[in-house]
Amino acid sequence: MNERDHISPEDLSLYAMQALSESEAAVVRAHVETCSVCRDEVAQAAGDLALAALSAEQHPLPESARQRFVERVAADAKTAGRASDAPGVPPVQAKPIRRIYASVQWSLVGAMAVLAFAMLLKIGDLNREMKKLKADEAQQTAHAARAQQVLDVLTAATAQHVLLTAANAHPVPGGRAVYLASTGGLIFQANNLAAIPADKTYELWVIPADGKAPIPAGLFRPDAAGDASVVLPPLPSGVPAKAFGVTMEKATGSPTPTAPILLAGAAPSAGE
Amino acid sequence: MRAGIEEAIGFYITRRHPYNTAWLPVRAHSMTDHPSNPVQAQDRTASINSASSAGDGRGGPGDETLLERVKANDQTAMTDLFDRYAGLVYSVALRVLHDTGQAEDMMQDVFFQLWKNPGSYVHGRGSLGAWLAVVARNRAVDVLRRRKPSHPVEDVVLAANTNLASDVERNRMMEKVREVLKGLPSEQQKSLELAFFEGLTHAEIAAKTGDPLGTVKTRIRTALISLRKAVQA
Repeated sequence: MNERDHISPEDLSLYAMQALSESEAAVVRAHVETCSVCRDEVAQAAGDLALAALSAEQHPLPESARQRFVERVAADAKTAGRASDAPGVPPVQAKPIRRIYASVQWSLVGAMAVLAFAMLLKIGDLNREMKKLKADEAQQTAHAARAQQVLDVLTAATAQHVLLTAANAHPVPGGRAVYLASTGGLIFQANNLAAIPADKTYELWVIPADGKAPIPAGLFRPDAAGDASVVLPPLPSGVPAKAFGVTMEKATGSPTPTAPILLAGAAPSAGE
Repeated sequence: MRAGIEEAIGFYITRRHPYNTAWLPVRAHSMTDHPSNPVQAQDRTASINSASSAGDGRGGPGDETLLERVKANDQTAMTDLFDRYAGLVYSVALRVLHDTGQAEDMMQDVFFQLWKNPGSYVHGRGSLGAWLAVVARNRAVDVLRRRKPSHPVEDVVLAANTNLASDVERNRMMEKVREVLKGLPSEQQKSLELAFFEGLTHAEIAAKTGDPLGTVKTRIRTALISLRKAVQA
């Protein structure tokens, strides 16, 4: 390597002193790693730094600094299991005993560390399992409580039973007839009936099971809510009914039903 | 200058990240002359004397002996090393940081790292005191740069030498270094001061002083060479 290949001594001194910029230091570092000549020069320059360090004015140590260091070392020796020498004991004689003792200590420390680590792992597993069980238990408890709530609502005597329908749906007219043929007793209740003109009326009909002509069973008009009822109209007794029907007739009624039949319902057999 | 005391002993390379506290010293290659090196490595090594077995000048154990005992978990030996070099490390850190609390924290940390990992310093091939002084300086500069981020230098190669185990020789070396620096031109003193103790890059120094970059580089280099020559005289 000729001279041109080397870093200048000035830069090597600055490099040893960390007084180059990062980029400059990177160039020097790359060169020094492969150039023993410059590496040695850096070593010399660094040796010069030790001399420069001696120019620093000497100051006494802060109070108790020595004591703090001694205590720190003693604490470390105690923590790490390092044994201190007894005063007056020749180091050469003390070494084998201390080394054996230290070896045993370190072995014990190592074994305890392994055991502690294994126990930590086991504890971790148990903790995870316990957490899972607790989570399952909480989930089951929540499910049971919800089921009980459902049951309580359904069976409560004070519960309100409400049928909800579409808010803007047109109500469907309907009627329920309870008829006792043996006495001719009839109770009819209708709801959701459409309003009818003033000259019209609804008329209920009993359709005899023997095929004879329908029997008028009463006139009625719905109220504002569409509800209406016919209770015990004058009917012959002993006429079994096959069906019931409702038609719209003139206000005074009609002896025969006029189409269309607005409501109709087949009567089940007696007792059904 | 008495052989074995004030001369450079060996060379170490510590490769570290600027903010990494781990020390990873590696034995440097044997010295050879750089083409532009005004001081011949042969001249340096001729006066090098190992400090590994040198004591503290008062009959106390040498650094190597103490470090071996530290490796054997001898707290007393660690305390002896602390007593020997804590003042130097603290003073260097304080000179850079200008904060007694931070300087002590750094000093404590440097020695505690040595206690935790005494093998980070490869004894027998250099001076522990010089190595600690350079480590303290570089770590203090790292703190400075972290406080005011500029251009952190990564993967820096460092070296340290000079036996400082003896109080007498250490004081004599300090006195001599100060004398040499005092005799330098003020521009060289200032440039070295800004680079070494203030942690400025040469570009920052040039910007601060208004001098050309090349001039700043030359001044720093010349100041360091003057120090080197003075201790080898």
